[in-house]
Amino acid sequence: MKLTRRMTLAAFAGMLALGTAAPACAADLIAIITPSHDNPFFKAEAVGAEAKSKELGYEALVLVHDDDANKQSELIDTAIGRGAKAIILDNAGADATVAAVQKAKDAGVPSFLIDREINATGVAVAQIVSNNYQGAQLGAQEFVKLMGEKGNFVELVGKESDTNAGIRSKGYHDVIDDYPDLKMVAQQSANWSQTEAYAKMESILQANPDIKGVISGNDTMAMGAYAALVAANRKDVIVVGFDGSNDVRDSITAGGIKATVLQPAFAQAQMAVEQANDFIKNKKSPAKEKQLMDCLLVNGDNAPKLETFALTN
Amino acid sequence: MNSEGRLKGRPSPPFSVGADHHAEQQTIMLNNKPTWPILVVAVGISLTACKILPTQSGGSGNAFNPDKMVEEIWVAKVVPHLQRKAVPFAEVHALAKTDPASAGAKYGNPSKQANSPWTFAVRVEGKIIAANTASRAATMDIDVDGDGKADARVQIGPAMRGTALRDSLDFIQFNDFTNQIDFAQFGKAFNAYADKTVLSKLPRDALDGRTARVLGAYTLESGQDLPLVTPAEAEIGPKP
Repeated sequence: MKLTRRMTLAAFAGMLALGTAAPACAADLIAIITPSHDNPFFKAEAVGAEAKSKELGYEALVLVHDDDANKQSELIDTAIGRGAKAIILDNAGADATVAAVQKAKDAGVPSFLIDREINATGVAVAQIVSNNYQGAQLGAQEFVKLMGEKGNFVELVGKESDTNAGIRSKGYHDVIDDYPDLKMVAQQSANWSQTEAYAKMESILQANPDIKGVISGNDTMAMGAYAALVAANRKDVIVVGFDGSNDVRDSITAGGIKATVLQPAFAQAQMAVEQANDFIKNKKSPAKEKQLMDCLLVNGDNAPKLETFALTN
Repeated sequence: MNSEGRLKGRPSPPFSVGADHHAEQQTIMLNNKPTWPILVVAVGISLTACKILPTQSGGSGNAFNPDKMVEEIWVAKVVPHLQRKAVPFAEVHALAKTDPASAGAKYGNPSKQANSPWTFAVRVEGKIIAANTASRAATMDIDVDGDGKADARVQIGPAMRGTALRDSLDFIQFNDFTNQIDFAQFGKAFNAYADKTVLSKLPRDALDGRTARVLGAYTLESGQDLPLVTPAEAEIGPKP
């Protein structure tokens, strides 16, 4: 199995590191579990967390659960079995994850959640999440402005199992529904997927040629939708995404997609590792378990400053 | 929410009295939610277990009513807090522009989220020198120092941006909410309440040149044309 091979490699790499760096004892392990790295957002999280772990002298075990709660549960068993001192987790479901994190806690392994929250407190040590709702409101306000407060639009929603899909959609509507002249003619899930968004957009466009805008729950779907619009010679349609990926940055600077919302993924993952380190070394929990990080609007004005989920000055 | 409906609407259970307990556990398992707290209760009071189920709230939705929560604290806590904390806008913003950290320490809500910008309770008094009432997110620009230039932009609804009122209150904590949806809807409920009770009653025509007095809050954000103030109380003077 791929996973086992990855682990063996990691363990092997660990031994190699031991041999070369030769500290007196084995470095403590931090497990970093996220959804698939196919989405650059999750990759940025894993890279950020791994870099910070190594910087603080830990071994990092990087794993992906592919948004499968069962697989996530197995990976948590793996982390416990390997004697991880902490788990950094971008989880696979707000309800389904509670038991898995509890299991780790019972085994003495603290969890530090990033990106997505769970519907329970007191189980994880920290839940550091992007303020998706605030971010969605930023994106929706820009969308409303670009639309001139009126016209037909389409919403592409993310994967239903991901709590942020619902949060963003609610945040969008929280703003947009205040404008009665903005009419949603279609709302469909494209499961965060670029190819699925392309296909969905093609068929939506056939049924609703009179659309003026598309608001998307994430950047990969925005990319798919925009590609379908370009293919149908409808570059006039306003597209707004969410995440702040480099792909959408490039589209914005080229005059394609109009705006996105940056989640500080990299900084968030690093902050989680710092808190884990403080917990491991000083037995100190963060002042608040649930911590919100604000998102930022990215449009033509600041897109050139965006790089790998962070805005430079 | 669904699970409760299902349980309540269930016809008499197809199990004997002796099997009641077991039946109950099976039903709970179907809910796909953490089962342990319910089981503990069920075991503790096995004979009356059927009755306690409807009071279990598994999710966030059923009991949460942000509009009602805001209505209950508005007069008793929100307005008094703003009145106590509010500082003239010009005073806060002069410092906030040059030294946000000092302004935050001096005037801001100390229990804000770590990486969030500062939110300040303020009084805005001055002359309306421009108004945008064509947008549903209507605003009026106020000159507070008499130099003929706008210093603050006050939202007068019905659509309003941000959660400045919520974020100016030091007794409100994100940790006390189930998730960010609840927290955000609570934030929006402040705006809705201000719109319903105060802003919707303000005049909309010929605002230029009139005076305005506002008690509210604003969040320090970069890249804004003007600081955006959300009112909790507002008065507009007669036409000049």
